[in-house]
Amino acid sequence: MADSREPPPLFDDDDSRKDDENDDLFTSAVQSPVSEGGSLTPTVEEDVEKPGEQTDPLSDSPPEAAAHSTIQAQPSDSTSSPLFSQSPSLPRADTPPMTSEPVDLFESCSLGGNDSEDVTPTAVGPMTAGQEQVSTMSDPFFDDDIPDDPTLLMGSLVAPPPTPQQDLTSPALAPALHDETSCVLDSTTDLDTTIKAEKEVDLVPSVSASALEPVDMEEPTDDASNVVETEALPQNSSPGNPPVFLDDIDTSEIPLGNEPEEVSLDDNDDTGIFQSTAAPKLQLNQNDNEKKDEFIEITVTDPQKIGDGMGAYMAYKVTTKTNISYFRKQHWSVMRRFSDFLGLHSKLVEKHLHSGRIVPPAPQKSAIGTTKIKLGSDKSAESSIEFIEKRRAALERYMNRTAAHPTLRGDPDFREFVELDAELPRATQTSALSSAGVLRLFNRVGETVNKMTFKMDESDQWFEEKTQQIESLDNQLHKLHASLEGLVNYRRELAISTAIFAKSVAVLSSVEEHSALSRALHQLSEAEERIHTIHNAQADADYFHMAETTKDYIALIAAVKDVFHERVKAFQMWQHSQQMLAKKREAKAKAELVAKPDKIQQAQAEVTEWETKVERSQEEFERISKAIKKEIDQFEIIRVKDFKETLVKYLEALMTSQQQIIKVWETFIPEAKAIV
Amino acid sequence: MMDVMEEVLHAETNGTKGGRSDTVDLNDSSLQVDISDALSEREKVKFTVHTKTTLAEYTKPEFSVVRQHEEFIWLHDRFDENEDYAGFIIPPPPPRPDFDASREKLQKLGEGEGSMTKEEFNKMKQELEAEYLATFKKTVAMHEVFLTRLAQHPIFRNDHNFKVFLEYEQDLSVRSKNKKEKVEGLIKNFNKTTDELLLSATQKDVDEYFEKEKGFLLEYHMAIKDSTAKADRMTRCHKNVADSYIKLSSGLSQLGAIEGPRFEKFVNKVSEAFEKGRKVEGRVASDEDLKLSDSLRYYMRDTSAAKDLLYRRLRCLANYEQANKNLDRARAKNKDVHAGCFVQMAELAQQNACEKFEQMSEKAKEELTDFKMRRVAAFKKNLVELAELELKHAKAQVQLQKNCLQSLEEEC
Repeated sequence: MADSREPPPLFDDDDSRKDDENDDLFTSAVQSPVSEGGSLTPTVEEDVEKPGEQTDPLSDSPPEAAAHSTIQAQPSDSTSSPLFSQSPSLPRADTPPMTSEPVDLFESCSLGGNDSEDVTPTAVGPMTAGQEQVSTMSDPFFDDDIPDDPTLLMGSLVAPPPTPQQDLTSPALAPALHDETSCVLDSTTDLDTTIKAEKEVDLVPSVSASALEPVDMEEPTDDASNVVETEALPQNSSPGNPPVFLDDIDTSEIPLGNEPEEVSLDDNDDTGIFQSTAAPKLQLNQNDNEKKDEFIEITVTDPQKIGDGMGAYMAYKVTTKTNISYFRKQHWSVMRRFSDFLGLHSKLVEKHLHSGRIVPPAPQKSAIGTTKIKLGSDKSAESSIEFIEKRRAALERYMNRTAAHPTLRGDPDFREFVELDAELPRATQTSALSSAGVLRLFNRVGETVNKMTFKMDESDQWFEEKTQQIESLDNQLHKLHASLEGLVNYRRELAISTAIFAKSVAVLSSVEEHSALSRALHQLSEAEERIHTIHNAQADADYFHMAETTKDYIALIAAVKDVFHERVKAFQMWQHSQQMLAKKREAKAKAELVAKPDKIQQAQAEVTEWETKVERSQEEFERISKAIKKEIDQFEIIRVKDFKETLVKYLEALMTSQQQIIKVWETFIPEAKAIV
Repeated sequence: MMDVMEEVLHAETNGTKGGRSDTVDLNDSSLQVDISDALSEREKVKFTVHTKTTLAEYTKPEFSVVRQHEEFIWLHDRFDENEDYAGFIIPPPPPRPDFDASREKLQKLGEGEGSMTKEEFNKMKQELEAEYLATFKKTVAMHEVFLTRLAQHPIFRNDHNFKVFLEYEQDLSVRSKNKKEKVEGLIKNFNKTTDELLLSATQKDVDEYFEKEKGFLLEYHMAIKDSTAKADRMTRCHKNVADSYIKLSSGLSQLGAIEGPRFEKFVNKVSEAFEKGRKVEGRVASDEDLKLSDSLRYYMRDTSAAKDLLYRRLRCLANYEQANKNLDRARAKNKDVHAGCFVQMAELAQQNACEKFEQMSEKAKEELTDFKMRRVAAFKKNLVELAELELKHAKAQVQLQKNCLQSLEEEC
């Protein structure tokens, strides 16, 4: 399963480093191609398989389970455990009864934690290997590599919802939970002992039975997640299942520090993406399931000005409603200022762009609008109210788009942003005038030059087509946006001129000496006044439903282009390494000709170094290509859905205004007829 | 392209003529006038005036002549200048055919051709052609209304100039005014305005009715003029909104083409709905124009004509008072030997002026009452029609959107 191409040593280093630095589990998981895993695999797989076999081999659930447990445990860990953040992947069955459960889970987790602690010391060496294996298994990118048929995975995807529940009861879940819990939870409970015992008992059978496939590993996650959400399930699982747990731990020797968990989390994310990309049709179903399963809705309200003068800023209330288990509450609010939103965006971009994720763009800074608000003159009150409302709506859409991405919403920064009930550290980098801003500007210029000068020969037809499609989509969206702006402007003008006409008719009616006609004209004036309001509301609908959505997608398309560019950069890197390798080989050949042993040795060392670099960069390139494909497929599905919904809503809005117009004229007709 | 339009116009006006003469009651069929055809040739519009009559003065019971806009104005001026008609509201002259706006838009469209797709361009062009056609029809209708009102009027219908206008087969060879005449007209107009202002400021009216009427008409004219302008602006905006749906619907369907089949099918339905909605919206705009702005505009002109009547009466009153003064002066000089004949002359003039003024006042009172009735009836009719049309279109829109939403639902 482990492909020969994976160059283990370097990567490992990188991974570890990355983890340390970024806390970015995802990247580490992705990068570790898991050559080692191949050797380790057998043990892990066996453990895993068992759970999978019981229900279906399909879903990637195991990692998720881990994630869930971690989440629940999180409260205790709080911000410190960045690893867990990534866990929130897609498929969660919605079992609403969250309230009572969390506690249960927590307890179980804690129990597991104890166990793990016990285990850990013994199995240190194997652990690492096991971890790596897990990561490989779960890695979506490497799915192909996995010995099991990818098709199986696909099939499994279809069925996911049912399986998890079954799994829950079944012991399979336990392992995952266990791992996670152990990692996460420091607290210990009395229960631990009981659990341990159970686990041990179970262990034996599970090991023997375990069959095999890495796929199974994935499944557990779903189950686990489901379990967490559903009431009582955790409890059930813990008593009955624990044995499996033990098996896993012992056999695979996953004593688990945080690392294993991290891996599992990453897997979850990836799997989610994978599912979407792999089987679009299935995915649709899954989406529905997901909706049921996981729900997060963010509203941005109550914009308020804080401070005075140029130091003033706008703060918004960010309210989150969710049933996702890794959030501590289901409903809460925090205050955030505009630059916090930008800061969140740049953090997410920094972390996720290079792995090929489309990070939804934050609304643009507007110097004019902001200054107006800061100066806060009464004259501009109306326009700044409009400006603030536009921005508020844009922020809300931005937050929800980000939250809709299973990986991004699990990012520690995102969760901190949404959850931390205190002021975030000031994001200095977002200010256009800061040194970071200038630096960014330079970088951007450099990138643009690079974009213009470097033309990559596209070997992948899919990318060629997509790049083209994105390009024409970009054009078309710009056109559409322009015509929508035109429509909005015309309609606003219509509303204004209707209001003016209404006033003028009111004057006319007061002058008119014929009393009945005067009355009718007065009614006409009122009717026009109401129509003015209707037109205005419709113009708002034009704007907020259509124009803004289109604008958002123009920005999103830019994000997609950035992602494509990341890939080009990876390609460049690869090319560069290849060239260097060729040079070094040449140097080595020369050295051999001259027959200087010390030089040969040095050249040899360099050749091997660059060989690994080539391998690594090639792999990086392939990884990002795969990741982008998945992201784009997902993006397309969401985009089409989004547009459909928008259009339907817009049509409904149009219909409502026409119905209102009908009412206006219906009341007017008798007045006109009453003229004698 | 204009040529094409002309042909279209030729055919269309034949079918739709007479649609706008509703402001006049047509019970009396002894003299019926309509414009059976109109042809636009470059700057000029040729109207075919068709007359059907049972009156004995006319040699034939039915005949047609070709007249141009200038000849209509000539006819109006004949009435306006005739002292005998001073006591009447002279029907307002039809506005000059003005297609500049359409031409200008067409030119603009041609310039912007590069920025839109062929389909969009064609649709915009169609819209403009339709607009041009509508303006043309309206122009014809206004000319027709002018003639029908004259033909309906118990006094005006017997006017000699009117008869000539209707019957004389040759060109009336009224040329448009040359420069000198134009300047003269301008000065005359200016004089009249200052005189009017002076009179309205200095001349005290003995009759309260007219005093009141004068105040009302002044105010009313201002108000209705304002409303007309605002209504025009509103309908224009409405038209713009309707036109902007063109780009929206084509933009959407192109987006669908890029997005791929599933979305394309969906979006095509929406864009179709927008396209149909646009047509309805365009009709709302043109109906508002026809029923609201145009009736406002017509009564703005009519009010202006009524104002002219009041001015003439006031002028007449001033003359009468002047005659009184002259008589007084003549009598004062009576001691003189030769004064006798002067007094006699002054007495005669005073008597004439008095008679004229009284006749005129009586006539004017009738005319003003008539004007009021006419106005109320016309407004009632147009307002009811406006509301009904608005209702009809709004309902059509709702139906359209409902259908669209339904078919979208089925799709999903």
